[in-house]
Amino acid sequence: MSNQFIYLSILVASVGTYFCRAFGVFSARNIKTDSEIFHWIRCVSIAIISAVIARIILFPVGILSETSTSIRIVCTLILLVVYFSFKKNVIFAVSSSAICFVLLNHFL
Amino acid sequence: MFAFGAFLHSAGFDLYQSFLSTFFTFALPGQFVMAETILAGGTLLNIFLAVLLTNSRLYPMTVNITPVIRNSNIPKWKEYLGAHFIAVTSWFNFFAVEKSINQEDKFDYFFGLGGFLWANSVLCTVAGYLFSNLVSHEILIGLVFINPMYFLVMTVSNLKEKKLICSIFLGAVLSILLNDLFPGWSVLIAGITSGTLGYFIFRKEINE
Repeated sequence: MSNQFIYLSILVASVGTYFCRAFGVFSARNIKTDSEIFHWIRCVSIAIISAVIARIILFPVGILSETSTSIRIVCTLILLVVYFSFKKNVIFAVSSSAICFVLLNHFL
Repeated sequence: MFAFGAFLHSAGFDLYQSFLSTFFTFALPGQFVMAETILAGGTLLNIFLAVLLTNSRLYPMTVNITPVIRNSNIPKWKEYLGAHFIAVTSWFNFFAVEKSINQEDKFDYFFGLGGFLWANSVLCTVAGYLFSNLVSHEILIGLVFINPMYFLVMTVSNLKEKKLICSIFLGAVLSILLNDLFPGWSVLIAGITSGTLGYFIFRKEINE
């Protein structure tokens, strides 16, 4: 892979990403926050994020795919249990899950 | 982003490429897809389509947040510039406090929040690249795992309205069920179908 190709790839990836954002601003020009379509879009947005998360946990690509599915699921459950048990503390829940993930991957 | 910088270092990218990737893209899943497609020998068209598909979640998120932060005093170019800061983290964090911000201040608040997160992401990518040799491969994988866990906690924190709960639950289940049938499209199909179902099933629910 040449340096020139990598720079072109970054440019192409940036254009692809910014297109999603810019087209979103353009499409939203006539949408009001009290409209039905606004609430529908909100549901779709959060459902897509939820779908992305489920896919990363169960069918990851890249270096996460080197880990076992059961460890990823166990650490996801740890995250949720800690989050709801400790007054919805985001930092504590995420760090507990990540630490358990590293330890389980190391020892199992 | 630290893990992404470290990953790029181990994959043979240089520091400027790591910096530019986060500077101009600022959407981690798409950045990983770009790097992995390059490493797999993909063409520029492969990269464009893979990143477009991966980051297509940004489209409904932008359509959702733009009317909320819109302000007649904000010029159009600034709206398009601010759109660069729309990412899952800034989106969730903004909506967590949105109701307590005056309408005329919402754009500036989001611009500041998103800009801060973006600048941090760029710095963390560079730091990850420079200090990757201090981090073992196991720790690196642990750092990558933080990203979906953080997204999940922020998603769960939205479990307040029935239509959102239904959309979140169905989105997760459908994307898993559809993964083998439509590997590249499962997230989009699951998201649009689940969001639409969640919205229509609980349409009567009073919107908060």
